[in-house]
Amino acid sequence: MATESQDIETVTTNVATGQPDNKTRRYDRQLRLWAATGQNALESSRVLAIGATATATSVLKNLVLPGIGHFTVLDHRTVTPEDAGNNFFFEGQKSIGKRRADEAVRLLGELNDSVEGKADQANIEEVLSNNPEYLLQFNLVIAHNLDAVLLDKLAKFLWSDPSYPTLMVVRSAGFLAEFFIQFHEHTVIESHSEAMPSLRIDKPFPELYEHAMSLDLDNMDPMDHAHIPYVVILIRALEDWKKAHGGNPPKTYAEKQQFKKGIQAMKKKHDEENFDEAEAQAYRAWTETTVPSEISSLFQDPALSSLSPSSPPFFHLLSALHKFTLQPPHTLPLTSTLPDMRSDTKNYIHLQTLYKRRAEEEKKVFKSFISKDVQIDEELVDSFVKNAHAILVMRGKRWGEFDEDSAALANSLVISPRETATHLALSANSSQSLKSAAPPTAESLKAQVQSIVGSGVELPEEQLDAAVGEVARAPTSDLPNVAAFLGGMVAQEAIKMITKQYVPQKGYLVIDMIDMWTGPTGL
Amino acid sequence: MLASVNGNSSSSDWPGRYYHVDQVLDTPGPRTDPSFLAGDGVKDFLRNQCKILVIGAGGLGCEILANLALSGFKDIHVIDMDTIDISNLNRQFLFRPKDVGKPKAIVAAEFVMNRVPGVKVTPYYGKIQDKDEEYYMQFNLVICGLDSVEARRWINATLVNMVDPENPESLKPLIDGGTEGFKGQARVILPTITSCYECSLDMLNKQTAFPICTIANTPRLPEHCIEWASVLEWPRVFKDKKMDTDDPEHINWLYITALKRAKEFNIEGVTWSLTQGVVKNIIPAIASTNAIIAASCCNEAFKIATSSAAYLNNYFMLIGTEGVYSYTFEHEKRDDCPVCGGQTMDITISKDWTVDRLIEMLVERQDIQIKKPSLSTPTKQIYFQAPPQLEEATRPNLEKKVSELVPDGGEMTITATTLPFSLSLRVKYA
Ligand SMILES: [Zn+2]
Repeated sequence: MATESQDIETVTTNVATGQPDNKTRRYDRQLRLWAATGQNALESSRVLAIGATATATSVLKNLVLPGIGHFTVLDHRTVTPEDAGNNFFFEGQKSIGKRRADEAVRLLGELNDSVEGKADQANIEEVLSNNPEYLLQFNLVIAHNLDAVLLDKLAKFLWSDPSYPTLMVVRSAGFLAEFFIQFHEHTVIESHSEAMPSLRIDKPFPELYEHAMSLDLDNMDPMDHAHIPYVVILIRALEDWKKAHGGNPPKTYAEKQQFKKGIQAMKKKHDEENFDEAEAQAYRAWTETTVPSEISSLFQDPALSSLSPSSPPFFHLLSALHKFTLQPPHTLPLTSTLPDMRSDTKNYIHLQTLYKRRAEEEKKVFKSFISKDVQIDEELVDSFVKNAHAILVMRGKRWGEFDEDSAALANSLVISPRETATHLALSANSSQSLKSAAPPTAESLKAQVQSIVGSGVELPEEQLDAAVGEVARAPTSDLPNVAAFLGGMVAQEAIKMITKQYVPQKGYLVIDMIDMWTGPTGL
Repeated sequence: MLASVNGNSSSSDWPGRYYHVDQVLDTPGPRTDPSFLAGDGVKDFLRNQCKILVIGAGGLGCEILANLALSGFKDIHVIDMDTIDISNLNRQFLFRPKDVGKPKAIVAAEFVMNRVPGVKVTPYYGKIQDKDEEYYMQFNLVICGLDSVEARRWINATLVNMVDPENPESLKPLIDGGTEGFKGQARVILPTITSCYECSLDMLNKQTAFPICTIANTPRLPEHCIEWASVLEWPRVFKDKKMDTDDPEHINWLYITALKRAKEFNIEGVTWSLTQGVVKNIIPAIASTNAIIAASCCNEAFKIATSSAAYLNNYFMLIGTEGVYSYTFEHEKRDDCPVCGGQTMDITISKDWTVDRLIEMLVERQDIQIKKPSLSTPTKQIYFQAPPQLEEATRPNLEKKVSELVPDGGEMTITATTLPFSLSLRVKYA
């Protein structure tokens, strides 16, 4: 007689196992968020950090752990006693006097063997003057509390060509901080939106309509009746309603209530939960399936009018999507994912098969609209069709543009006073440190803020006092907890930029760790 | 706070070590409370006197330990009952592949002590329930980075129970952090004064529970097939053999069994990873979210320990999927909170409800969630889960109507061995 453990063995050795390898096991908890596609993107990315500050090494830590391909730390300085006190990627006194880049790369490298790390002793000032092309080997450049003049030069260079690396600017002083992502264009297919695509209940495709109409609800076995999926119930209820209302769906509040009552009246027994579910989902019957405005507005994108074979695949797919929606029934391609609903196996799987088949057919039609001059990866097409209801095109701004735009600043000071005031206090801090070696005061920072926004612009006194006072208190402080917080935030946004999944932050994200808030400005 | 000669009294400190932190400790800011005594006194308290407990040495715990050490806390204790698994290494940055299988608390403590000179981290490899009030009384602050709801309820109730109005030292601020994927929260709990963990129990995401009849008869999703394999097939095939979700052979058996069932019903999507995710109830976790939430918690600990800035009142919520969205608000205390409220909770049920049905409700209701509850009135035992003799003696009551045992408006006490508090209910009949 077989023992229990042998039992497990016999079963498992007879079937090919799907057991993951060590790498998959290591990354399991993150693969559940961004899957293999996101992981591959991370693994082929190259990140540069300018300056091994506590904040910069915190950001790198959170990129090395999930497994980016390569990172370089560019820093020409040596570890000071001050550096050794607040950076987890220096070894206390042992690191004092050693090269910051070497120490940081050595200790960050320990976190993940599969990530390549490089220390570079060059001075960013010289790199920018003599060899800015050095920066082009990276996808992403991170600059924390970089000298304002150098930062300006760096940002302008990286902005000069849309194909140049993304720049993430990070600034902090004491409990206050902000970051900004400089990019020209960022497209997202897998936005992981919680928005649900349409099930086309109001515009059922022929096979779905026939299936719904073919069921004999009145003479059905009670058990089967309690297992009719809500999709079918709603199609039937809508059909009946339209017959009695001149072909129109329920429109007014009263009509919608009446429609819901009609669904309840279809019940044979009061405990048929599938009908309750249909009532809860009734909006799907009266909401017309159209192309969502966020998506149709993308069809006006300038990148579509200048489409060429060398355009990014995203825009070829967007163009095909536009053409698809010009055909009846003027919707996005059907998605094959059917949400779970009260039903039995047979009914649900049948319905799922109908949706899958139809989705395949519509995908074929969609593909016929893709320009024949381009080759697009099959998986990318699948993903695009599946996520068509939630795709995004983001256009960014140049670092520094906001501070040069007096009108935009004035406007933001009204809309988001605390965020904008804090941002300006940080701007004043970095420009003041250039002018004098003396530590800034609240007054000197305020004067500097006024000179940034222009003399005519009124400043929100309370919020500005709160911000400049804190900056003056700790103008050069890279607090460990603030560094760690920024390390998480900036790395997270970097991951979104690299994987092109989820939605990155636009404008400046301002952080106040006294009152513990975050908020955007300069959008 | 006692003043000492200076704030940098420890022998391991070097000039400039606290350059960054001292900027906020030497000067108040515009929003700092006037009671803040900038300078040596506050540094001495932080670095020489303050004793802090970290519960959990996992995703949040590793980050918390490193942040506290750099912030200047020097007497840190850490409790964790887990050992290191390979799937921890994508975020628990104090651990290396060679550490797999070792206790988290011990490895983390050693790492931090090696990296940050002069910091003492005292590990305890075990359960928080092993420790008594006297143990918890020695700390000034408690930071919690746990993934278990049960454990948080336990420590929350323990710290609330410990508060003695006569003794201000008995009030231990509890800072709690939690993450799930790109989302997370950090909060400050002042036991008995502000809303406690139990007060906000209904804010937890409800776990998807699949009805047993769906699993047994009408599966539609791959998850239903996996549940069938683990909940119904495993006990049928292996009888009393306990399923170990950390054993890859067991997961593999479940995967194959679920896959067979899925094929039979034409259901797609059963994978190894999904099987593991469903049976272990895996929550996605990444380094970046953990870093954000742990930093928020440590920032609060630092502010409370030093008074250098006002602490969070009392809840910070973060959603990082669409840009960065955060929301800071004051979560309100619940008067009928079984831990800190003192008021009896009113429930209205049908006259026909059996005790069994009531128990089902106690398990399921979002603001109660008491697994395996025992029920009694001031005069009689209604149902007890343990010991076995008492369970057997009270079992017949399960079928009885509550209304036969408790009068309208009568009170009932609910307890569970996992929770260090009892819930009093006033029952009314509809
Ligand atoms: Zn409470």
